[in-house]
Amino acid sequence: MPPKSRPRVSVDAGSKQTTSRPSGKAKLMTVKLDTEPPAKKMRPLSLTTKRSERKGQNDRLWVDMYEPTTEADLAVHKRKVEDVRRWFIEAFEGGPSGKLKKYRRILALTGPAGTAKTTTVRVLSRELGFEILEWRNSMNDEYGERRSPVDNQTLFDKFQAFLERASACHNIFSSQMIKNQEPQSSQTGTPACSGSSQSQSQSKKSSGPRHIILLEDLPNILHLPTQARFRAALQSLVDNPPRDAAPIVIIVSDAGMRGEAQDERAANGFGWAKEVVDVRTVLGPAFNPVASTLMKKAIQSLITIHFSSSSGHSVQSLPREVLDIIVESSNGDIRSAIMALQFACTSASKAGKGKKRVQNDGRSNVNARLVLEAVTRREQSLVLFHLMGKVLYNKRKGDPPNANSAAKDLKRDKAIDALLREPPELPPYLQEHERRASRVDIDVLYADSPIDSSLLGLYIHQNYTQFCNDIDESAAVAEWLSWADWGGGDDPVLTNPHIFHLLTLGTLHSLPSPVARRGQLVCKPEFFDVRKREVEAADAVRDVQLWVTSKDAGLTDTTNGNLDFGSRDDVPSTSRWSQKTIATELGGWLKAMDRQRGKGVARPPPSHHLFSHLPFNSKVSSALALRDGEDEFGSLPDEDEGWAANDNSVKDVEDIVSGGWLESDDIEEVE
Amino acid sequence: MSLWVDKFRPKTLDDLHYHEGLSARLKSLAASGDFPHMLFYGPSGAGKKTRISCTLRQLFGSGVERLKIDQRVFLSPSKRKLEINIVQSNYHIEITPSEAGNYDRVVIQELLKEIAQTQQVDLNAKQRFKVVVINEADSLSRDAQAALRRTMEKYMSNMRIILCANSTSRLIAPIKSRCLLMRVAAPTPEEMQTVLHHVAKKLKFDLPDDASKQIVDDSGGNLRKALLVFEALKMQSPDLSGSLAIAKPDWETYCHKVADLIVQEQSPARVMEVRAKFYELLSHCIPPTIVLKTVAERVVERVDESLKADIMHWAAFYEGRMRIGNKKIYHLEAWVVKVMSLYKASFYMLTYMSTVNDHHFCHIAFCL
Repeated sequence: MPPKSRPRVSVDAGSKQTTSRPSGKAKLMTVKLDTEPPAKKMRPLSLTTKRSERKGQNDRLWVDMYEPTTEADLAVHKRKVEDVRRWFIEAFEGGPSGKLKKYRRILALTGPAGTAKTTTVRVLSRELGFEILEWRNSMNDEYGERRSPVDNQTLFDKFQAFLERASACHNIFSSQMIKNQEPQSSQTGTPACSGSSQSQSQSKKSSGPRHIILLEDLPNILHLPTQARFRAALQSLVDNPPRDAAPIVIIVSDAGMRGEAQDERAANGFGWAKEVVDVRTVLGPAFNPVASTLMKKAIQSLITIHFSSSSGHSVQSLPREVLDIIVESSNGDIRSAIMALQFACTSASKAGKGKKRVQNDGRSNVNARLVLEAVTRREQSLVLFHLMGKVLYNKRKGDPPNANSAAKDLKRDKAIDALLREPPELPPYLQEHERRASRVDIDVLYADSPIDSSLLGLYIHQNYTQFCNDIDESAAVAEWLSWADWGGGDDPVLTNPHIFHLLTLGTLHSLPSPVARRGQLVCKPEFFDVRKREVEAADAVRDVQLWVTSKDAGLTDTTNGNLDFGSRDDVPSTSRWSQKTIATELGGWLKAMDRQRGKGVARPPPSHHLFSHLPFNSKVSSALALRDGEDEFGSLPDEDEGWAANDNSVKDVEDIVSGGWLESDDIEEVE
Repeated sequence: MSLWVDKFRPKTLDDLHYHEGLSARLKSLAASGDFPHMLFYGPSGAGKKTRISCTLRQLFGSGVERLKIDQRVFLSPSKRKLEINIVQSNYHIEITPSEAGNYDRVVIQELLKEIAQTQQVDLNAKQRFKVVVINEADSLSRDAQAALRRTMEKYMSNMRIILCANSTSRLIAPIKSRCLLMRVAAPTPEEMQTVLHHVAKKLKFDLPDDASKQIVDDSGGNLRKALLVFEALKMQSPDLSGSLAIAKPDWETYCHKVADLIVQEQSPARVMEVRAKFYELLSHCIPPTIVLKTVAERVVERVDESLKADIMHWAAFYEGRMRIGNKKIYHLEAWVVKVMSLYKASFYMLTYMSTVNDHHFCHIAFCL
């Protein structure tokens, strides 16, 4: 093995290079007219050729060298790419009706680091032929110190200027293009353009000069006033865009969701983007961590390319186990995986002749793992599935070993047990609370939890019954859930900061030990689905409320949203029909109205079925099981195929049910 | 056609059919020129809102019936938009702040301040103050009630508040002490029958006595419910003869079946079943408090005497938590599991006792 420190240094140097600016081309903005990825991610070939010729290819980062150029190479789910592509096409062409354009102003791509968000945009830019204007904060600009004293704009002023100019800049170029109608346009002389851009812009003439504004390096939005200005700037671009303004793409890397701070965000489903900008303009296909199969495929093909291109090289392909380790330890971050891969190859080639020996050595695996883990280590969050397993299986010291667990696992359990100390014995009157020491370390769990306490509560609530043997244990868990919810409340001042611990400890204390294994399936909470339907039903109640009040007055004129009843004899008023009364008391009457056919009777809004029809059926819960390896963020209520499927099944059931309760001709009437 | 409830709603205090004493008192109060803040309370369907609107008419004349429905948007502290329907005339304004959920305080504060700071401009107005009617006052949060309390004193000169609530127990004492309390009791069966016959007479058809009796029995003192059922029945069978099948609302039947589920079996799997039913109820906008109450009443009917008190105690207990908590389902379910656990324990106790008794009996028999 090579000394650990050396490769690390090289990795560090590499990463530094990736983040530092290549040149002071633009303090304020970088207008790249070529489709080559900007230097932030990839140094242009010209800069590196000299050195790389001398030193071989080793000092170039593979992440940059092998950046995907086509969709096929992307390690992103096809559907996600398709979503983004459709968005772009709609943003440029306005979709089928041509009207979507104005709603496709801002696209927010969210997801953990290294999930190919930026790359997707770049690949699409190549495919659809648009140019990327990118903003960079000039804080760590190499030329920052030499900035002229006149240049004392605040960073945000510059940002705003950039946004304005980015839109304006588009206009200049396009007008020039249209006016000149000749391939050699004058903008090749623009200082912002690199030499290679000429051919690019020519080739793109046919498809028209399209731009997008890419915001990856955001202003400091944690600072509230800055956030407000950021918001205002975006809002103004959305509200009154300049003619043919470039759509804006915002890329947000979530640094993993953890702990209490993210409560709001997790509940909202997708990040701050929603708060920062008007919802209607933001499409948020959240990128999930790269699935291990996709990642394996990508890495495999990368290796093939690498070793075929450097055919003279004597480096052999890496052993399979090392690849597995890389994929596993990268935690869905493909950038980190490729970094690790490069490092592994480098170290392997450095080891040179020793390679064979090491391979035969049983320790190679362990060593490789150690090294790679040191390289790729980042804060790993526990996968939700495992978190739930840890809480709900309630493992305690001295549990009888699981029949089908491997010897390795048994050994590990023993090692854990050896470290655990039994709790002090309780006095006789507290005997019922006597438990063996738990193998679960709450603090570690809390630190690694991918979800916040309120979501944890929902998950426990959805699943605890399967793990209980009798009703008393269930009662204890339910009581804890109720207690925690009650102690929490909506008021941030009152919110108990220890809810996570209380919930976990309470559940562990209440569950039987050991938990009987019955092939329990951990399910996603139904809560959000129910909540959604409740909101729909509430809308229906409101519809009926308005209908009940206005139908008699015969007013269809709702021009200002105001209903003026004038001085009529029988004036109804909404407030006499509170929503609660409508939901609970009006059902029978509405049904009678439905049965009343013809006769020119005014029909109640058909949506009232959402609250007035409640047939009792033996529908079993439709919760979806959570599987191992499934990404935990996808389980949040929004935009997940799993949920969509769930919705459909629920709807189907409802359709069948309501079909049974309505007369068939009523259904037509409802229209 | 309009709902009969709305169509035949009395317009003036003189038109009211029952609680004549109350009507007389309201009339003299309206005439006195020294109108206090008021709190109308009583069971739902007793005629609180009707009495309020009659009082308003008494105060301001028919101008109070020129109504306008506005939708106002308020911003919660976290910048969420809250849409509230407001019914107003030149002289009064009606709001249901509980529609804003936890943010009712914002609504109360902003609206009241706005109204209180504008003087009555109509010189022909009979009164120098405006009236604010607050519906469902008992579901106001503590915050909102506290906000209300200060406003009630401060702006007494241009504003009066009329609160409408089911019970006074959820209102804080300072509010109660600032209001004149008006209890609107549920009408007696005879009074309800009078009203039903009055409606039938207006519509020019005959209401058979046994039909009206059946409707009244079913309604449980809720006149609104009685009239709705009456109208629905009339739609179904125009002559109202023969045996009338008064269908309970779906959700009520549903709740009763849930209660049966609880009593039939007590196991974690059954908890899941009950939960699915609760979710179904909640997703149909049935308020969780009503769900809990209906299910609890049904369960109590079906269990042993010794358990009844406990079950109700825990229902009240978890209902209290539900008010503060966010996720109603936790508390509903906690109550169910608690009841199951109690029921099971008592059941075992009973069987145990009976086996012991049997044993004793055998023993005694043997001795004999």
